Amino acid sequence: MTITSRVAQTARPAGRQNPTSASEKTGTFRSKNTIDPTYYWMVLPVLALFAFFITLPALVGVFFSLTNYAGYGDWKFIGLSNYVNIFKDPAVLQSYVFTFVFALTTTVVVNVVALAIALGLNAKIKWRTGIRTVFFIPMVLSALIVSFVFNYLFSNSLPVLMERLGYTPLATSILANENLAWIAIVLVTVWQAAPGATIIYLAGLQSVPSEVYEAADLDGAGSFRQFLSLTLPLIMGYLVINVILGFKGFLGTYEIIVGLTGGGPGMATQSVAMRIFSGFTGGDYSYQMANAVIYFLITLLISVIQLRLIQRRGVSL
Amino acid sequence: MNADALGRTAPLSRRALLKAAGLAGAAAMLPLTGCGATPSTQNGVTTLRFMQNKPEVVAYFNQVIKDFEALNPDIRVIQDFNEGNFVPGLVRNDPPDVVTRGFAQATADFVRKGVFADLSDMPVAASIDPKIQDLVSSWGQYNGNETSALPFSLAAAGVIYNRDIFAAQGVQVPTTWDEFMAACETFKAAGITPIYGTFKDNWTLGQGMFDYVAGGMLDVGDFFSKLTARGANITQGAPESFTSNFGPALPKMLQLAAFSQNGAASKNYADGNAAFAKGQAAMYLQGPWALSQLVAANKNVRLGSFPLPVTNNPADTKARVNVDMALSITRNTPNMAAAQRFVSYLLEPSVVNTYNEKNAAFSPLKDAPAVENPQITGLSASVTEGRYYQGATTYFPPSVPLYNYVQSFVYGKNGQQFLAALDDEWRRVAERTAV
Repeated sequence: MTITSRVAQTARPAGRQNPTSASEKTGTFRSKNTIDPTYYWMVLPVLALFAFFITLPALVGVFFSLTNYAGYGDWKFIGLSNYVNIFKDPAVLQSYVFTFVFALTTTVVVNVVALAIALGLNAKIKWRTGIRTVFFIPMVLSALIVSFVFNYLFSNSLPVLMERLGYTPLATSILANENLAWIAIVLVTVWQAAPGATIIYLAGLQSVPSEVYEAADLDGAGSFRQFLSLTLPLIMGYLVINVILGFKGFLGTYEIIVGLTGGGPGMATQSVAMRIFSGFTGGDYSYQMANAVIYFLITLLISVIQLRLIQRRGVSL
Repeated sequence: MNADALGRTAPLSRRALLKAAGLAGAAAMLPLTGCGATPSTQNGVTTLRFMQNKPEVVAYFNQVIKDFEALNPDIRVIQDFNEGNFVPGLVRNDPPDVVTRGFAQATADFVRKGVFADLSDMPVAASIDPKIQDLVSSWGQYNGNETSALPFSLAAAGVIYNRDIFAAQGVQVPTTWDEFMAACETFKAAGITPIYGTFKDNWTLGQGMFDYVAGGMLDVGDFFSKLTARGANITQGAPESFTSNFGPALPKMLQLAAFSQNGAASKNYADGNAAFAKGQAAMYLQGPWALSQLVAANKNVRLGSFPLPVTNNPADTKARVNVDMALSITRNTPNMAAAQRFVSYLLEPSVVNTYNEKNAAFSPLKDAPAVENPQITGLSASVTEGRYYQGATTYFPPSVPLYNYVQSFVYGKNGQQFLAALDDEWRRVAERTAV
C-alpha cells in the first residue's frame, strides 16, 4: 500500500518541483536532472529476470567451456583446449561458412522482396487491406509448421509436378540435393520473414510526405527516378533497421532447417546454432559451449559494427 | 547543487534496488530448493519412478505395473516414457529410480560415469543368457566388474521381406551375397522395386545398409575395441583406422542403394512403411520396430525377416542385434530395495517373455521359449547360435553426425572422403574427451 502510494506520487512528470512529503522531508530542491525512482522500479524487475535467466546461465556456460563437463557426472578444468579444438574442426568451420552465406543471402533477398511488396501494398491498389492481410499470414504461423508443410511440398508435390512437366532436374526433391538444399531453406525463410520486414517498410513509406512526390512530378521525374532519389533515401533508416534485425535473426537460424533438412543432406545445411545445440544431446556440452562463446563474440562484434553504422545514419534502435 | 541533490536522493533508490534484487533472487531460488528431495515414502508406501524408453509400449507397462502393485501393496510405481527427461534428472540430481534404455554408446557413457547401481548380486541376474549380458558389458563396466544393466529385450534386425512377392516370383530367402544380388535382379526384371529406400531419414541408411554391410564384412566389436585402445593417437594410415578396414564394405552399400526405387532420396521412414506395406517393394532394410507400423498400414501383409548375407559363405551371415531395453537402477536412489523388487518382477519369465513375444523381439532369459512369430523366425537361428553383432553406428559417440556422413556417402559415392571424415571425427572426439 505504501509502495503504491509512493509510486503514484512520484509518477508525475519529472522535472517539476514535487510538493509531496518526500521532498518536504529531505527539504531539498529537486532539480531537473533528478531521476524519478519510478523509472528504476520499471527497469528493475526486468533487470533481475534478465540477470538471473540470461546473464547468469551464460556465465555458467562460459565457465563450463573451460572444462570437459558432459552435462552430468565428473569434470575437470582443461583450459582453452576446447577453443583450440573448435578451430581445428572442419565440421564446425563448415557450419560457420554455411550460416554466414545463408544469412547474407537471406537478408538481401528478404529486403528486396519485402520492399517490393511494401511498395505494392502502399500504392492505391484494389482490395489493399485484404491483400495486406494475406501477405501477413506467414508471420503468425510457427516457423516449424511452415517448414514441415514446405518439406512435404518439396519432397512430394513439386517432384510429381516437375515430372509431369518433363523438367527432370527438379523431378527429385531439392531437399535431397546437397548443392540445392540451401536454396530451399532460403526460400522458406524468406517466405516466413518477409512480412515482418514488409510491415517496417510500409511504416516507412507512409511516413514519406506526398508533397515530395508532387514536387518530383512537377519536375518531371519518372517513377523509377522517384524511387531511387526520393523514396529510398527517405526510408533509409527503415532499411538499415531491417537489414540489421534480419541479419542478426538469420545468424541464429535453427527451426526452419530442422523442419526442412535436419542439417542434411550429408552435412550441407548444418547451421552454427544446430551444432551448438547438438552438444546437449551429444555429451559434448563443454565443447559446444566453447563454440557458443566464440559465436557470441562474433555476433557481438557484428552488432557493434552495425550500431556504429546506425549511429552514422542517425537512426536509433 | 545538482550533485548534492542527487547524492541525497540516490541512496534511497539504490537501497530499494538492492532490496528488490534480493527479493527477486530469493523468490527465484525457492522453487529450486524444492527439487532435490522428493518425499518417496508416504504412509508406508514407497513411490518408485520408472522411466522406460519406448513410448509405444506404455500400455503394456501400465498393465505390468498394475499387476506388480497388486502383489506389492507397499510400492507404487509411476511410469515415465519421456527418455529426454533422464539427463535433466541427472543434472538436478533427481533421476528416476528404475530406468530402461537402449544400450549403446550414449548409455555406456552413463555407465562409465557411475550413474547406475551394481546389479550383479541380484538373484535374477543369473537367469540372463550370459552371451546377451556380454552385449551390455562389451561397452565397458564401471570399476571393471559391475553389472550396470540387465538386458530386457533384444531386437534383431535384418531384411524384412514381403512373403507374397517372394512366393509370386519364386525367390527363396538368399543365403549368400550372390544369391541376394540375383534375387534383386529377378525383382527388378519383373518391374518390382527390390529394396525400398528411405534415404531422406538418414538414420535408416545408418542402421540399415551401413550397419548390415559393416557387420557382415568385419568383426565390428573387435574393430571398435582396437580403435578405442588407440585413443587420440590414430591416423588414417594406421591399421586400426576406418580407412584401413571399411574400404571393401562400401561398394556393397552402393550396390544396395542402386536397387532402391527412383526418388528414394525424397522418401522418409513413414513413407517407406506405407509404401512397403502396400507391396511396393520386395525388401526393406529395417528392424523389428517397423513391423508393427507395417501391419498397421496393411493388416494383410505377410512379412518375414532374414539376416542380410554379405559374403558368399552362409556361415558368415550374422544378424544385427541391439539391446533394445536394458534395466538399470540409478546408483543414488533412496528406494534401492523397492527398486530391486520391481526389477526382479520385470525379469520374471511371464513378464519379460510376454513383452518380447508381443513386440517381435528376443527374450534375454537363458531358457526362453523359441520364437514363433513368423515375422522374425528367420532371424532366430542367428540369435540362438550367437551369430550376431551390434551395429557399427551404435559405437559412435553421439557428437559425431555419423548418419549425415553415411547419407553424404550414399549420395556422393566418395568412399575415401567418407572414411577420412570418420577417422578425423573419431580422432577429434578422442582428443577432446581424453583430456
